[in-house]
Amino acid sequence: MSFLSLVVKNPFRNKTRTALAVMGIAIGIATIVALGIITDGLKSSTEETLKAGGSDFMVVESNVSDMMFSSIDEERLSDLKNTSGIQDVVGVLLAVYPINNNPYFAVMGINADKLSVGEISLIEGRGFSENKDEIIIGKAASQKTGKKVEDTLEISGKKFKITGIYETGDLQQDGGVFMSLDELQELEKKDDKLTMIFAKIDKDADLEDVTDRIDNTYTNELMTVKSLEDLGKVESGLKTINTASWAISLLAIIIGGIGVVNTMIMSVYERTREIGVLKAVGWTNRRILAMILGESLVLTLVAAVVGIAMGLVAVQLLIPLGLEGFIEPVYKMETFLKAIGIALFVGLIGGFYPAYRASRLAPTEALRYE
Amino acid sequence: MNNENIIEIRELKKSFENGTIKALDGINLEIKRGEYVSIIGPSGSGKSTLLNMIGALDRANEGEIKVAGYDLSKMRDLNRFRSQEIGFIFQLHNLIPNITVLENVEIPMYEINYSSKEMRKRAMELLEYVELLDKMKRKPTALSGGERQRVAIARALANNPSIILADEPTGSLDSRTGQMILQRLKSLHEKENVTLIMVTHDMNVASMAERTIEVLDGKIVQN
Repeated sequence: MSFLSLVVKNPFRNKTRTALAVMGIAIGIATIVALGIITDGLKSSTEETLKAGGSDFMVVESNVSDMMFSSIDEERLSDLKNTSGIQDVVGVLLAVYPINNNPYFAVMGINADKLSVGEISLIEGRGFSENKDEIIIGKAASQKTGKKVEDTLEISGKKFKITGIYETGDLQQDGGVFMSLDELQELEKKDDKLTMIFAKIDKDADLEDVTDRIDNTYTNELMTVKSLEDLGKVESGLKTINTASWAISLLAIIIGGIGVVNTMIMSVYERTREIGVLKAVGWTNRRILAMILGESLVLTLVAAVVGIAMGLVAVQLLIPLGLEGFIEPVYKMETFLKAIGIALFVGLIGGFYPAYRASRLAPTEALRYE
Repeated sequence: MNNENIIEIRELKKSFENGTIKALDGINLEIKRGEYVSIIGPSGSGKSTLLNMIGALDRANEGEIKVAGYDLSKMRDLNRFRSQEIGFIFQLHNLIPNITVLENVEIPMYEINYSSKEMRKRAMELLEYVELLDKMKRKPTALSGGERQRVAIARALANNPSIILADEPTGSLDSRTGQMILQRLKSLHEKENVTLIMVTHDMNVASMAERTIEVLDGKIVQN
C-alpha cells in the first residue's frame, strides 16, 4: 500500500466523526458556491442591462448609493445628444412595482419613437402609442403573468392595455414592461426626470474620451458607467453581495478551520499510541506531519466535493423563490476552483497544529498512552 | 554469536520528574552480536527504560550508549537508526486496526526506499515466515491474540534489523500461546543470528535466554 493510500484511508476510520466534520465544512463551501453562482448571475444580468439596446455606456446621477435612486433632468438628454462623439441617446425612467407575486416587477418608461433605437424587438403585436395607456410586455413577464396582447395589466391602480410582446435577451428587461416615458413620469410623480440615459457613440469616436468629457463637464451631477467596475460605484446591491460573499467565505474558513482542528486533534489523541508505534518503527517527524496534514486535506477535499454538490442544489432551490426571471445562474469554473482552494486552505491551516503536535510526541510517552 | 559487541553502555543515567526519579543510575553493559538476553526486574526497576534507551526511543541524561556502531548520545536523528537497526515487539501488539495484516507489516518499510511492489513482496515473505500468509487480507481485529503478536513479529523484522527488542511480548497472552511466541522468537534468533533482548518479569520466560540481566533500582545487580 502506498503512503498516499494510507493517508486517504485514515480519515474514514471514524466514519461518524468524519461525516460530521465534512458536513460542517461542506455547509460553508456550499454557501460560497451558491453565493458565487448567484453573484455571477447578478453581474451577468446587470452587464446585459448596462449594454441594453447595444449602447456603449450608461449615464446615471453621480453620488447615489443605488442606481434605482438616480434622478437626471430630462433636459440633459438633449445636452448629451449634442456632445461631440455621441450618435444617439435614449432616456429611461425605471420604476419597480409589486405585480402578481413579484415584488420587483420592472416598469420602464421610454419615448415610443426610441423603441427601435433601444433594440427592443417585438415578437408579437405592435409598439405602444404615447399617452394612450398602452404598454408592451417582456416575453418572460408575459409567461409569468399569463398576460397576452390585448389583455390589460394594472400598475399602481391604473389599467394599461398590452399592445405587444418584446424580447431583448436581457433578463431584467424581459421580466418587465415598457410604457410611455410621460405616463411613467406622471405615475411616479417625477416630471421631466429620468433614471438613466443609454448612449451610443459615433463609429470613429473614442469611448474613453467621450465618457471622460461627460464626467468632467457634469462633475457632481452625472457619471458615466461603461463597465461592471464602474457600476459597482453606484450599484450598492452588487457591492453588498460581493462583500457578503467575502464575509461568508471568511466565516466558512474560520468555522471550517476550527472544525478541522477539532476533528484532527481528536484523531491524534485517539491515535497517540499508534503514533508512538510509528515512531518506534522509525517514522520521521516529517512523515508523521505529512500523514496528519494529508488526512486533513483529504477531509476538506471531500467536504469541497460535497459542498459544491450542496451549493448547486441550493441554487436550484433558491432560484424559484423570487429570483426566477431576475437572475439566471452563471456557473463559472472560477467559483468551483475558489471553493476547492478555500477548502484546501482550511485543511492546511486546520490540520497544521494537530499534525505538528503529533510529530513532536515523545515516542515513550505516546507508547504509554492509554 | 561472535565476539563483537553490538551494544556498549557506560555509566548510563536517566531520571524523570526533574531528577527526583532515578530510572537508570549508572548502567554499564555489553551485549555481543547475536546474543539472546533477558532483562528481568520488578515493576519500576528501570528495565523498560533501559530497553527504550537501547532502542533510541528516549535519550539518557548522562553516560554513553553505542548500539550497532552508532553513538546514540551524539546522534541528532534517531528515527533512521530505529528504522534500520531495531525491531520492536510490544506487550500489546499495537497493530493499526483499520488496515490489513499485510499493510501493518509494510508500515516500517515506508522509511526505506522500497516501491509498493517490493514492500508487498517483503511483507508476504514475512507473513509466510510467521505462518499467517493466508490471513494477510484480514484486519488485526479478526485475529487471535497469538496471531496478532506473530504479525507484530513480522512487522519487527520488516527492515532486517540487527536487534529485536521485545517488551513483555507474552504479557497479554495465555501461557500456551506465550510459549509458542517465545519458541518462534528463539528460532528466529537461532536461524537469523539476530540479537534478541527481551524484557520480562517472568523467570520462566527469562530462563529461555542465553544470558539474564537483573535490574533493580536503576542498577544492574546481576549480569
